[in-house]
Amino acid sequence: MSGIVTFVKDRIGERRGLADYSLIFIVLFLLSFGLVMLYSTSSYESMAQYNDAAYYLKKQMIFTLFGLFLMVGVSLFPYTLLKKFSVLAYVVSVGLILLIIPFGKEVNGAKRWLDIPLLPIQLQPAEVAKIGLIIFSAMFIEKLGRKALGTVRGFIVPMVPAVAVGVMLWKITDNLSSAIIVIAIVFGMLFVACPDYGKFILIAAVVLVVAVALVWYTVNSADTNSLDFRGERVLAWLDPQAYAGGKGYQTIQALYAIGSGGMFGKGLGQSMQKLGFIPEAQNDMIFSIICEELGLFGAISIMLMFILLLWRFMMIANSADDFYGAMLVVGVISHIAVQVILNIAVVTNTIPNTGVTLPFISYGGSSVVFLLIEVGIVLSVSRGMRREELARLEES
Amino acid sequence: MSKRVVKGKNTRGGLKRFTISMQRKLVVLCALVLLAFVGLGIRLFLINRDNGQAYTMQVLSQQAYENQTIPYKRGKIMDCKGTVLADSQLVYNVIVDSKQILEKDAYLEPTLDALEGLGINRGRIREYITNHPSSQYYIAMKNLSYQDRKAYLDKVEAGIKMEREKRVAPADRKYDNIKGIWFESGYSRIYPHSDLACHVIGFSGSGNVGTGGLEEYYNETLNGVVGRKYGYLDETLSMEQTMIEPKDGNNLVLTLDANIQSIVQKYLKKHDDEYENVDHPGNGSNHAACIVMDVNSGEILAMAGTPFFDLNQPSDLAALEGMPKLDANDEPMDSYLTYTDLLVMSDEDKPRYLNALWSNFCVSQYFEPGSTAKPFTVATGLETGTVDKDETFYCNGFKYVDGFEIKCHNREGDGLVTVGQAVERSCNVALMEMAMSEGKENFTKFQNVFNFGLRTGIDLADEARTDSFVSDSTMTDSMLATNAFGQNFDATMIQMAAGFCSLINGGNYYEPHVVKKITSPSGTTLRTIEPRVLKKTISEETSELIREYTVQVVEGRYGTGETARPAGYRIGGKTGTAETLPRGNDEYIVSFMGYAPAEDPQIVVYVVIDRPNFENQDDATFATVVVRSIMQEVLPYLNIYMSEPVTDDEREELEELGLAVTYTGDESPDKWEKETW
Repeated sequence: MSGIVTFVKDRIGERRGLADYSLIFIVLFLLSFGLVMLYSTSSYESMAQYNDAAYYLKKQMIFTLFGLFLMVGVSLFPYTLLKKFSVLAYVVSVGLILLIIPFGKEVNGAKRWLDIPLLPIQLQPAEVAKIGLIIFSAMFIEKLGRKALGTVRGFIVPMVPAVAVGVMLWKITDNLSSAIIVIAIVFGMLFVACPDYGKFILIAAVVLVVAVALVWYTVNSADTNSLDFRGERVLAWLDPQAYAGGKGYQTIQALYAIGSGGMFGKGLGQSMQKLGFIPEAQNDMIFSIICEELGLFGAISIMLMFILLLWRFMMIANSADDFYGAMLVVGVISHIAVQVILNIAVVTNTIPNTGVTLPFISYGGSSVVFLLIEVGIVLSVSRGMRREELARLEES
Repeated sequence: MSKRVVKGKNTRGGLKRFTISMQRKLVVLCALVLLAFVGLGIRLFLINRDNGQAYTMQVLSQQAYENQTIPYKRGKIMDCKGTVLADSQLVYNVIVDSKQILEKDAYLEPTLDALEGLGINRGRIREYITNHPSSQYYIAMKNLSYQDRKAYLDKVEAGIKMEREKRVAPADRKYDNIKGIWFESGYSRIYPHSDLACHVIGFSGSGNVGTGGLEEYYNETLNGVVGRKYGYLDETLSMEQTMIEPKDGNNLVLTLDANIQSIVQKYLKKHDDEYENVDHPGNGSNHAACIVMDVNSGEILAMAGTPFFDLNQPSDLAALEGMPKLDANDEPMDSYLTYTDLLVMSDEDKPRYLNALWSNFCVSQYFEPGSTAKPFTVATGLETGTVDKDETFYCNGFKYVDGFEIKCHNREGDGLVTVGQAVERSCNVALMEMAMSEGKENFTKFQNVFNFGLRTGIDLADEARTDSFVSDSTMTDSMLATNAFGQNFDATMIQMAAGFCSLINGGNYYEPHVVKKITSPSGTTLRTIEPRVLKKTISEETSELIREYTVQVVEGRYGTGETARPAGYRIGGKTGTAETLPRGNDEYIVSFMGYAPAEDPQIVVYVVIDRPNFENQDDATFATVVVRSIMQEVLPYLNIYMSEPVTDDEREELEELGLAVTYTGDESPDKWEKETW
């Protein structure tokens, strides 16, 4: 035990001052921007509900600060040590999801939260599962080895634990979007790790065909009453105006917000749609308010910030010390990319409505804390890379 | 692990290096992500390009519902002492928003609990919410009082605070999950004294539209201007909220005195109760009505007529029981409404009967006044000089006119009577003689001078016009003869009372009025209605004679109004007994027009009993005793002291009523005192 402590101390001492400042800057920018938009979006409802315009802002600021603290801590922590906790990460992920069955808190009609004892906060196991799967799969893929990755088995074996967690999230927490994200993360990691393209193109094609078939089936279903809420969401997606009073309400109101924003928007704080028309706009629909207040210009700027962030991640992965570190970063890239794409796609009604938050910007404590831990891991990987560079410079 | 690993070397089949091909695939992955971003960016652009305008309009039109009206408060009606007779109270409609309630499962039950707590049927609301899931505006309850609403809000607020302090899980919160209930403010009209002065006040419903009485006559004065809250877009397209405050309505301060009014209603009610179901099932009379009026200003101090109704529930059919049934022309018949009739009453009949109930007998209905018209005939003769005050007339019980034998009140004949005695005994023959002397020209001219057939201009809704029931100078002799004692022409009670005031006050015809002052919502006086003399009817000399004669009606040996005299006072007046149409039915309207004190008249108390529920209706005593009771209580209330000694019997009677004997014992009966009132 004391050996590990000394080891960690050595490493920390060795790595101090080697952070990737441009990445940190981008993350801090997104966080600050997110808090500003969160306040703008939520103050009206928060005033109405809690008689405190900054109710959501305050809560989110506390989580953000806590997340940043963890991010710094994790970035100083040698990521290679995470390998030792890989199996534990997976077990904890699965365990927390299973804990929902007896202890889950129902909010908004779905059991997705766990009360943390003694604290007035709730934890969303889905967020833990995302990071858990990144840590676990990075190790698992590394263990499989190069040869195995070339085969079909090398693809299927790492997918199994991911799909298992996905199914659990879907069935236990009724959270299909988180299930898709978890599976997509591992899929992305395998796409980078496996040498070929064939099976990925094939799977993408199959998924596409199945999706089209499901939509076709839903639309032509004789009895619309027999459809579950997902079926209705598909119908509302195809014709939001027709369902404007029900499942299409949120979507159509979000579209009104985007459409009324124009090129430069109505100005920060000037959204009309947030005044009760888009319920809980600070959650999944925050991007529509960004479009309304800051216009296309603001929306594309934010998308560019995300592209910049992902580009930074890509650079770190490509210059990582080792395969394991790179895999961790690829996992984080997949996670953030999938979530941003899904969120904006939902808000613009490009895909059917499903609850996905916009990373760093949407309201949500668990989400921001675990995202910042992921950034901490990436920073840790980048430190390793920096150290390599420094060593090379010293040698020459 | 502590040793640096040699790059590119795989150990035990594992991977150590992130190879070039992997890096390339990562670039591909990121390129795909970038592609998706570009696609979404294009989508954003297209939404703005294709639907921007439509969606902008949509957003603005959604805001339009912020345009709300804010109700004003209708003015109060107060009596001369400030007693509130009609008021508007802030109440709330409870609005239910199904959509908001159904947003989360945790909302429904706590919200239903809360609604039930407000007294709303749980099942009904649950059914409504289930059947109308997208409804956002449903009035679940009306007229929730300010207190009840405040109690509810306080309870919920305390509950929410408690739940947050105790950190109750959000889904289990009872108060925090009450959603989709809001309150819409409005005003509801209340009448604290329910049936007091019901016909004078009238009532107003939810739309602030007055029906009957002052509520209708002063509808515009009482109503204010609604306020408005609306949003608009300023030049930078940002939403601005503006509110125009509502302007509350003005108040009415009446000449009417709630105490006198309640004395009047008490005795009218007493009469009604006493004769109820006596001759036939039904009310004590079709109407028992009374006007108390200030002789020297035309101010109405009290005005009432049975049957009364509760202004808070004007359409309650229960008040109709005992009223005469109406024929096709809405004229009263000889059968009466029973409780069973009310249960089976058709929807066409209900408004007919309710209108009859709400009709103010004192101003809206007319009848042949009978002998109370005699002082007017006498005054006409004296004023025109066609009748001399020392003239005598001989009555043998009847007079032939146009071949009709017109009988006198006294069938055996009054013999030789002076003008004064003619009034005292209510001699029809003498009055016919007088009218003949006056001639049709003079008689009709003075009918007009006394305002018969014209509206008095009283400030109440639905004052009747009776000009078509008053004859002109081309009338027949028999018409003139019968007009002389108040038959064959119609008048309203208010016409009679206002005209009679001028007979005894020196000839000043005051416009009768009910409202003394109009005040602003904050209480400042906007307008004072001063007594208005419309015309001079007769001279002071004639007036003095009329007073002398009418005092004899009460005090004279053969006076018909003896029973009207209240203990301790000298009063004057004139009885009236008029046969109703059709003749020969033995149905009468009996009345007494009294005034007090005799020496310097201050108030007129006019009581009319329309067809008393008694076998022999032609007896003015039905009315005189009511006048007596009313005066007995009203005179001391007005600080008019007794001028006459009181007998032991009367003393006992006064004690029973809780009234003091204010007779000072002096020998000078002329000494009475009066305070300004």
